[in-house]
Amino acid sequence: MAFNYDYYLRTDKMPTLWCWGCGDGIIMKAMIRAFAKLGWDKNDICIVSGIGCSGRFSSYIDANTVHTTHGRTVAYATGIKLANPDKHVIVVAGDGDGLAIGGNHTIHGCRRNIDLNFVLINNFIYGLTNSQVSPTTPKGAWTVTTQYGNIDPSFDPAELAKGAGATFIGRESVAEAQKLERLFIKGFQHKGFSFFDVHSNCHVNFGRKNKLANAKKNMDWIEGNLIPKNKWDKLSEEEKYELKKQGKFPRGVLHQVEEPEYCEEYYKMVEKVRGK
Amino acid sequence: MALNVDFKLKAPANTPVWVDEAKCKSCELCVEFCPTGVLEMVPDPHNILGQMVKVSHPEWCIGCKECELECPDFCIFVAERDEYKFKKLNEVKKLKGEA
Repeated sequence: MAFNYDYYLRTDKMPTLWCWGCGDGIIMKAMIRAFAKLGWDKNDICIVSGIGCSGRFSSYIDANTVHTTHGRTVAYATGIKLANPDKHVIVVAGDGDGLAIGGNHTIHGCRRNIDLNFVLINNFIYGLTNSQVSPTTPKGAWTVTTQYGNIDPSFDPAELAKGAGATFIGRESVAEAQKLERLFIKGFQHKGFSFFDVHSNCHVNFGRKNKLANAKKNMDWIEGNLIPKNKWDKLSEEEKYELKKQGKFPRGVLHQVEEPEYCEEYYKMVEKVRGK
Repeated sequence: MALNVDFKLKAPANTPVWVDEAKCKSCELCVEFCPTGVLEMVPDPHNILGQMVKVSHPEWCIGCKECELECPDFCIFVAERDEYKFKKLNEVKKLKGEA
């Protein structure tokens, strides 16, 4: 009685186009198990994805799917959610898609606190276009555009989302699929903008010149950079600062608050204006 | 809201782990994640990467499902506890002669 994923999949498109051992497949499986546990019908789900390896999510999941232009996932998803407030809209974007070219849309989605689920697949590189430097590439890493080591400081997507006003922020890695599934269940149930920073592996394009050219090796490196939330909270501010400089991040549910949701506010306003 | 779909995939008789070789890309993740060494890679000239996963020691399986959870290609499955009697970890160690 293993889990059968076929209800939520377009099985005629299998096997996936992703490389062997790609974390995207693990994230997709965790997401599907979360849908099944929440009992969501596939007609009530909308997957919006942009450009990149993560863009294939909308091809493989058998729900209402939109494959949009580069970086504009949140813009499309905002429209979809406002027109269909009872549907569950899941945005899937990579780190280049969601933070570099689409960074502006992402922060304004967070600010509005619209009920979207933003899954950021953070593999520290532009994987599809053969390893260019991305906003989350660690310092010193080799990419084709930083051949002598990356000197750009990388940024923390969870802090960005918190500053912009997202009301649920979680971080997990692909090496812990069960924890990832639990995080998805918590975040999907949350009313408001849920931001998931999922650390994924790209052992083909990130790992090949950074001595991580094997899926498990890359996952071990990711796991080594994550510190559980309860351990992180016990550290002092200076220690946190030092660890962040070294590229270490807390994992788990990092932030959760209740704020007025955008669609509700919008429809309240519509009622108010109509009533006059 | 209840969803009327059966998500259970029935296990073949007396099998703890089974692999759908048509979908497998032989990434070795299941082999690396298995804590007891149930799986191993064997050479296979018909596959792109020249290897294929093989369930070589099904009797060592403890049913932790780590391989099923970490497989990115929907191709390895583990039976439920009511379908197959899994070994305990100390029994596996005894079988391997480590305890």
